Amino acid sequence: MADQKTEKIIVAFLCNWCTFTAADLAGTSRLKYAPNIRIVKVMCSSRVDPVFILKPLLDGADGVLIGGCAPGDCHYSKGTFYARRKIALAKTLAGSMGLDPRRIRLSWIPASEGPRFARVVNEFTKQIEALGDNPAKREVYI
Amino acid sequence: MQTLIDSRMTMPDFIAALFDKLDLAGVAAMTKLPSGEKAAYTLLTDKDDIEDCVPYFPAMPANAARAVSKFTRQAPPSKQVAVFLRPCELRALTELVKIKQAAVDNLLIIGFDCAGVFPFSKIRLSDELKLKEYREAVAKGKNCEGIRPVCSACTRFVPEGADIAISFIGRNLDEPLVLSFPSEKGKEAAKTLGLDSSSKVEASPAVDSLAEERGGAEKKLTEKIEEALSGTDGLISVFDKCISCHACSHVCPICYCKNCYFESQTFEYFPESYFTRMREKGALRLPVDRVLFHLGRLSHMGLSCVACGMCEDACPVNIPVSQIFKTAGAKAQALFGYIPGKNRDEPLPLLTFSERELEEFED
Amino acid sequence: MAATNKANMDEVGMNKGIWVEGRAKKKVLEFLNGLLNSKKLEAVLMPATNRTKDSYSWFLMGKDGLLESADPFPPVMTTQGARAVSYLTKKGRAWKKTAVLLRPCELRATIELAKIRQVELENLVLISFDCPGAYPLEKYFNGDQKKLDEAFDACLSKQAELEGARAVCSICNRFTGRGADIEIGLIGGEAKGFWLIPGSREGEDLLEGVTGSASHKLEAREKAISELRAQREEKRKQTLDSFQETVKGPENLMRVLSSCINCHNCSRVCPICFCRECYFDSKALSSEADAMLQRAQRKNGLRLPPDLLLFHLGRMTHMSISCVSCGACEDACPADVPVSMLFSLAGRNTQAVFEYEPGRSLEEAVPYTVFKFEELKDFEAPYIKEYSKEQ
Repeated sequence: MADQKTEKIIVAFLCNWCTFTAADLAGTSRLKYAPNIRIVKVMCSSRVDPVFILKPLLDGADGVLIGGCAPGDCHYSKGTFYARRKIALAKTLAGSMGLDPRRIRLSWIPASEGPRFARVVNEFTKQIEALGDNPAKREVYI
Repeated sequence: MQTLIDSRMTMPDFIAALFDKLDLAGVAAMTKLPSGEKAAYTLLTDKDDIEDCVPYFPAMPANAARAVSKFTRQAPPSKQVAVFLRPCELRALTELVKIKQAAVDNLLIIGFDCAGVFPFSKIRLSDELKLKEYREAVAKGKNCEGIRPVCSACTRFVPEGADIAISFIGRNLDEPLVLSFPSEKGKEAAKTLGLDSSSKVEASPAVDSLAEERGGAEKKLTEKIEEALSGTDGLISVFDKCISCHACSHVCPICYCKNCYFESQTFEYFPESYFTRMREKGALRLPVDRVLFHLGRLSHMGLSCVACGMCEDACPVNIPVSQIFKTAGAKAQALFGYIPGKNRDEPLPLLTFSERELEEFED
Repeated sequence: MAATNKANMDEVGMNKGIWVEGRAKKKVLEFLNGLLNSKKLEAVLMPATNRTKDSYSWFLMGKDGLLESADPFPPVMTTQGARAVSYLTKKGRAWKKTAVLLRPCELRATIELAKIRQVELENLVLISFDCPGAYPLEKYFNGDQKKLDEAFDACLSKQAELEGARAVCSICNRFTGRGADIEIGLIGGEAKGFWLIPGSREGEDLLEGVTGSASHKLEAREKAISELRAQREEKRKQTLDSFQETVKGPENLMRVLSSCINCHNCSRVCPICFCRECYFDSKALSSEADAMLQRAQRKNGLRLPPDLLLFHLGRMTHMSISCVSCGACEDACPADVPVSMLFSLAGRNTQAVFEYEPGRSLEEAVPYTVFKFEELKDFEAPYIKEYSKEQ
């Protein structure tokens, strides 16, 4: 049930060393991207415990984006590999527990790629809009 | 397949022989409580006390891996102690060893085939009829009526990683024990016990028939849970009765954290937060984060879930917790090709990685 | 509820009850909705049925009105109300004027928690009622809920004993909402209606403008209450005395606790057990394997995990003085141990030493936190007695 009236909210956990800087770059380059994301800066995408993803989803956020350095480019060398495992776990659990795993997205966005950041945000926002409101949003009994 | 041998010893003789020949400091096994109605996992140090030992008693008031963890976490024993464990307890112990919450130094692990346990409040030592049915089911290799739902759908009922394994599915519980010695420690013990040249015994076909029955039950259970958990509505309904007591996590052998994240200040909010959220939805249910607790706990321990069923037994509001965790846990485990409790040296999935994997989860 | 208001309780008096005719549940909800609409209240914290309608949970509800499923008199106690109040106000006072509907034992626990700063009462209006008891969770979930609900509703206004109530409820002698800002008086109403009785200035203010007839029958209510209380007190004494015999001596106590699985769930749901890190789960009680082997040797066996009896007795020393006999522990016990009876007994005995009644009054300090220079002579060593004679 797509509800276009309410603004969709996407919580984004962005790595300080790459995607967060890319977001900054997108801003300073005056690139336009969807205003739906709420950014939480983390020092590494592997800091994102699956609970960080599940909490906003159960509290009514429409999507969760995790942005980190491409595998091999991690500031701490191995963080992204662990991150990928954690996100894979979160998506799998969400899927088996009745949440829509399509609301979770992991993207590798290097610091220099402001345009790519803007594109990912636009793309994901569109995808979330197509999915409609997160049913948990107005759920009183959750 | 391990070689099975006829030990020519019944259970009491076997425990006595362990004390006599292996110079044990103690044995830990299910033992009758003085009250006479219940049994509990107990550490015994004296051969004279072992007559009350009932290792097979089909109840699990605590997952024994938790007990062994309490016993060995600070420092393992300096002399050998034999511990009787059900397969799921042994698997949980293996997982606990990986996260340094238990040690197996100086433990002689005795595993045995498990025909399942009854919910702990549903079985007493005096329930002769039930226990007779259970024995018959063991001999026939069939599921006994009334055992925990996850037990009747458990396909890993043969011990993995024991030093000495007792085979009893398809056999009579009072007959001499049929043993195998899968580990080096076990083989040494066999030598000391004088069992290394005993006569061989055939594997019972009842093991396969039970595995088949259980396999079918597992499939059914998975389907049932998958259906119940379809969509957010299903998720909310399944945990709707939860009173947030967290009993499931406190009896879970894997949930070892002394300070659980979900009981931390992180999940205590200022009144403003409650009132703001109330305003958004019109009404706010308290305690909050009820469903998150279950999902979050699953993300923390689901990869190591051994489907022992403690959580469901301890739940005061009858939520099928262990059936849910078994089902969702299995899917998460499959993602990494991980089998909890299989191998002590296999690292936990979240503590390792390969460079090229899981590419369907990234972009 | 402002602390200063409590002292005025007596002078406000019990004679100001407003008699409201009609079905209590419906009328109470109307009353609360009225207060929300007139902005005298900005929120209400009270039970409502859950989504699948087979249990109850706490809900904070605001100006848009109460949930249709809100129920001031739920037949079961899922989460102890004092815990719900603590969730809301542990970190500070309620943001907005909020009414809280509590069973009498929940009210008492709330007052105990306020004393130990786990609850902040400012901005809260506490409302309580004559409680007929609650069903055990197990019974409610496995039984015919419709029938149980009907039987419960029937008991609400009559003095009839609730059949199948929790053991601890059937010996409850503090079953009225006295001490709350507003007391909902059901007993004596004979199913025709009920009283709204203010217990504080704040309660009086909220009741202003509520229409009802004069409370000509309040005497009848008082009489009915004292009769029931006398009955219950007798029953309580008898039951606890005989239970005391059942648990006399370590062997008998261990028999009663034999099915305990040492999960500590009783303490997790206890409204008084507020410690985030329970001493009995702490490292203080862990030891090396060899030390446990020694213990096993001394006692011909050591149950694992150990310290089961220490946990129960220790917990008694920590909270029995404040135990309000709410029964939450027993409801949450997965092993059917009569925990609430055990703790009610311990509480009765320890509270008697200090003439302390948990939840009676905010001004009454928790006995552990105060002392008199001369007291408890019976518990002193003879030396002290001798010494004071010489003086």
